[in-house]
Amino acid sequence: MNRGLNNVWALVAACALVYGTLAILLGVVPGVALSPTPPTPGLRPLDAQEQRGRDIYVGEGCSYCHTQNVRPLQQDLVFGRPSVAGDYAYSTPELLGTERTGPDLSNIGTRQPSDVWQYLHLWEPRAVVSDSVMPAFPWLFQVKDRAGPQDVVVNVPPGFGPKQGVVVATQDAQALVAYIKSLKQVPLTKGASR
Amino acid sequence: MAATPIAITRDNADPEDVAILSAFTLSATFWLLLATAVGLLLSFKFPYPDLATSPFLSFGRLRAIHTNDTFYGWASMALSGAAIYVASRTSGIAIQGKRLAWLSLLFYNLAAICGTITLDLGINYGDQEYREWVWWVRILLMIGIACGLASIIETLRRRVENDIYISNWYTVGGFIFTIILATVAIIPSYQNGLGQVAVQAYFMHNAVGMWFTFLALGVTYYVLPKELNRPIYSYSLGVLAFWTNLVFYPVIGAHHYEYTPLPWWFQTLAIVFSVGMLVPVYAGSSNLLLTMRGRFETIRRSYALPFILIGVSYYFLGSTQGTVEAFRSLQAIWHLTNFTVGHSHATMYGFITFLAWGAVYHLLPRATGKQPSHLFTGMHFWFATIGVTFYVISLSVAGTVQGLAWASGNPFIASVDAAAPYWVGRAVSGSLMLLSHCVFAYNVWIMTFGGSRESAKWEPASRSAVEA
Repeated sequence: MNRGLNNVWALVAACALVYGTLAILLGVVPGVALSPTPPTPGLRPLDAQEQRGRDIYVGEGCSYCHTQNVRPLQQDLVFGRPSVAGDYAYSTPELLGTERTGPDLSNIGTRQPSDVWQYLHLWEPRAVVSDSVMPAFPWLFQVKDRAGPQDVVVNVPPGFGPKQGVVVATQDAQALVAYIKSLKQVPLTKGASR
Repeated sequence: MAATPIAITRDNADPEDVAILSAFTLSATFWLLLATAVGLLLSFKFPYPDLATSPFLSFGRLRAIHTNDTFYGWASMALSGAAIYVASRTSGIAIQGKRLAWLSLLFYNLAAICGTITLDLGINYGDQEYREWVWWVRILLMIGIACGLASIIETLRRRVENDIYISNWYTVGGFIFTIILATVAIIPSYQNGLGQVAVQAYFMHNAVGMWFTFLALGVTYYVLPKELNRPIYSYSLGVLAFWTNLVFYPVIGAHHYEYTPLPWWFQTLAIVFSVGMLVPVYAGSSNLLLTMRGRFETIRRSYALPFILIGVSYYFLGSTQGTVEAFRSLQAIWHLTNFTVGHSHATMYGFITFLAWGAVYHLLPRATGKQPSHLFTGMHFWFATIGVTFYVISLSVAGTVQGLAWASGNPFIASVDAAAPYWVGRAVSGSLMLLSHCVFAYNVWIMTFGGSRESAKWEPASRSAVEA
């Protein structure tokens, strides 16, 4: 017989017990405690089209470069007011992000509400910001010979479009732009806090 | 590395054990090459944003493929294979539960294949670092980890050695922690909004420090004394590092989400314990460095030791950097910038990957009796060392200028312009890293299938091992 941790099962049990306890305290309990955080007053859930757009945002990995968290720091206030807990009540999977290669988008629906700008920026970011390193998303668009009556046409400046035809936003692009435009911080009222 | 390499003696190992170690290493090498090629393409998309514009080659999808394949394809397979093999060497018997070891490798590969395909199709569990794979892919990975653990436990249970050597404390611990961690991360019912941010903070940090750190240190506690033919400097320091890492590390995840609406005291607690992490890091790294003291000539002539020296040095540097980064005053400038990406390469590459290479260059030639060429091992070492060092410096500077550009109140694009030259530096050093991995892959091929230097016969008799 082996004594103490020279018994393999004692080693397994000690590791599982200590780490299992820590996992509950530092993973499960914070999750359980913070998940029911009520929404910031005035915040509305996404509609069906915006939700579809959010799924595309997640699938294309937009939040690897765009945070959705305005920090209570001077340099972040250009993006909006500091984020509060209730801002994330409808945000699952969470999209706070850990890198900010592009600007924060917490309040982009207020800061850049133009359809024309958003569509063109997704078609070719360098058409609106020459030094941008953002990828282009041409697969969210269709090139047609002629636009139909229901089509959302993208106004592409010379040099950034196809040689022939017009660029038309797909349902996916329309949903994504609807989601981007839905990202608006609601003003804080008295009683809301971090 | 101009000196004559030290001659090696082939292990008296079961041929199937050799096959298991070789198969884990070959698989891991494949994923390393794929993950690095993807990473290199990503790095070139910064200077050339319109390069390879296709949904299947887009930045947002490939980034997760790069990180997950590095984590679960390369590092997990390389270190799990080494851990299973080391358990056998330190127990004085062949690998028990061989079928479990093969199943482990099978499920690791299934998970990595399915994970890569689903991510490339834009199917993921949110952009949540290191758990982007959808739930059923992560269950495949968990089965792989559980099978690896079961195999090691089988070997340890039937050992002829009296003591469980400290390597196995670390590796068995790593497997158990990761199964618990993965279970906590996969249950969705308590992960809504900010609650999910808290779970993500816990998960993303523990996935690195409770899995790779424990496996890499565990394997190194075996390889290093064997290479030097000298016992570990202090067994007690190793035990101290084990328990302090186990207790301190789980607390510090929230330092990835400072200045968020997570409770302020919860962030502060994470910062305090980030300082506490200096105890296991300094205990562990000084223990390994002191074991190497005064033996530069041996290090120079060994294949594995130069990699271990760099790995331990980056463990010391990268972890100290991690502690410093956690301070709020420095986070205000460095957080969300490329500085973090530099840090993650100092640790996952400089620390974990170099120790994994040290393990491969020690274990594989002794298992197969086949040595790679001295020249090619040296090329791998220098390309990788210069590559990662230049990489970390480039991105640390890039992150600093980004953070300062934001703080100075210029338009956002000024931070892109400021970082752009250093992104070219990153692409150049990334190229050097991929080149070194191609040399490594060739060396692994030679160590597995090359001409044998000797033809030792395996004798199935149980023997009292001299290990440890």
